[in-house]
Amino acid sequence: MKDYLATIVENKKIANGVYSITFRVDEDVQVRCGQFGEIAVGGSHLLRRPIAICKVEGKHITFCYQVKGEGTQKLKEMSAGAQLNVLMPLGNGFFVEESEQKVALVGGGVGIFPLISVLRQYRGEKQISSYMGFRNKAAVCMLSELSKANKSVVVSDDGSYGAKMNAVQAFEADLAAGNRPDVVLACGPMPMLRALKQVAEREGLTCFVSLEERMGCGIGACLVCVCAMTNGANARVCKDGPVFNAKSVEL
Amino acid sequence: MANLSVNLCGITLKNPVIGASGTVGFGREFNELYDIGTVGGISTKGLTNEPRLGNPTPRIAESRGVILNAVGLQNPGVEHFIEHDLAWLKSTGTAVIANVAGKTLDDYRAICERLDGLVDMVELNISCPNVKSGGMAFGIKPQSVEEVAKIAKSALTKTPLMVKLSPNVESIATNAKAAENGGVDAISLINTLTGMAIDIERRRPIIANNTGGVSGAGIKPIAVRMVYEAAQAVKIPVVGMGGITCAEDAIEFLMAGATAVQVGTANFTDPYAMPKIIKGLNEWCDRHGVENVSELTGVLTLNQR
Repeated sequence: MKDYLATIVENKKIANGVYSITFRVDEDVQVRCGQFGEIAVGGSHLLRRPIAICKVEGKHITFCYQVKGEGTQKLKEMSAGAQLNVLMPLGNGFFVEESEQKVALVGGGVGIFPLISVLRQYRGEKQISSYMGFRNKAAVCMLSELSKANKSVVVSDDGSYGAKMNAVQAFEADLAAGNRPDVVLACGPMPMLRALKQVAEREGLTCFVSLEERMGCGIGACLVCVCAMTNGANARVCKDGPVFNAKSVEL
Repeated sequence: MANLSVNLCGITLKNPVIGASGTVGFGREFNELYDIGTVGGISTKGLTNEPRLGNPTPRIAESRGVILNAVGLQNPGVEHFIEHDLAWLKSTGTAVIANVAGKTLDDYRAICERLDGLVDMVELNISCPNVKSGGMAFGIKPQSVEEVAKIAKSALTKTPLMVKLSPNVESIATNAKAAENGGVDAISLINTLTGMAIDIERRRPIIANNTGGVSGAGIKPIAVRMVYEAAQAVKIPVVGMGGITCAEDAIEFLMAGATAVQVGTANFTDPYAMPKIIKGLNEWCDRHGVENVSELTGVLTLNQR
């Protein structure tokens, strides 16, 4: 973990309201899939934006983000050459055990981006099936990355791209067809994660979810971004997570 | 190289910069970024006798130039702190200031008795705006400020006591004086100002607790004014805080009458804020021919009106 002065190489729209920003830093950064960075957008915005790391290629780090509020709007308007502070890598990230050969990725909306980093880290080594759901055709992105999975299913809520269903339904359909993974890795909106946790419990599948929460420090000191654990304690999403075994957290 | 050390009611701080309670935990996380022992002091996350889970999330929101938080005193309890964090934090060389909170006067007495002689200083949190009972209830009325100060002071025979004042009061000078009358060794201010931020799409407050404590760069002028008024009202040392982002901000507080300062929200904007402020203080003092940073305390001269 280090605060990098990062230079924007590219900042482009990849889907409706979704942008991809690539930074160059002065050294190779070791990043585990599923980790994130805290991007300082500056000015009157005192909090950094916690955003999932999507791709790492040596000194080039790519984050993808949805324009949601003033901070991400400001980020969207920044051009190549501008420099920003990025604290990274943060959080625990996804781990796939050696014994787990068949990996299912279940992602919804902007939740697909940390899963793209999983795909990039483990492709060739694991059998990866990807189930990604988008709101509609205009929100679909990262198809060339997704096509590198051993199996890639892309669906949309309104049926304007792929089948009309959500990512969990797409995953369940394949499960019913006999494609049973050794581990499920997921990221997406809370209702999606809740539905997936139920499926995983019913089917006896190991499932890890990456959570999102409003953050303060991003390094585990301020106790702002907590989630409730099933054992009654709180965990820090930024430091103990953002990836948790689904059975250990209350969703 | 200026001498940055200051004497805060008998405790020597290597520099006047203290990590504000709730923003730096017990120092471990920031120590992964830099040696936390280089900071003058660390005011711990607010400690209670029993562990607390705190408020539901979201616990934080942002508004231009400020943030709002309502963590609600989540902490592992004083025993856990003593067992797991205290020895380590002391070993770093920073001054350990235990920030403590309670629901009742007995809570404050018990936790002060437990920490007496173990830490460098106790900071009494009677101004947390984010918990339903206790906390700020003690921090509003001057009589209750004096009462809780007296009880805490009587429980501390070896360790100096500082009380952290709320800005959400009628007169900061009156409450500062009340704390002094209660026998405390120092006062710190300001805690956060109570505020609200609304998600207009959902027509609901962003923070689960509805209201939160406002902190950050935008509150600095209010804090400087209050530190000045409090420092004028008492003879004991004052620790100033509220929106300090750089060395120049810290110097404003020193000039207004503070002996030391605390840095909070700036740690989120820039995790290296405290070492940068310490370096900046040194450079400013050198540029201005100030040999001891302590010379700056209270040098403010008001304009003639």
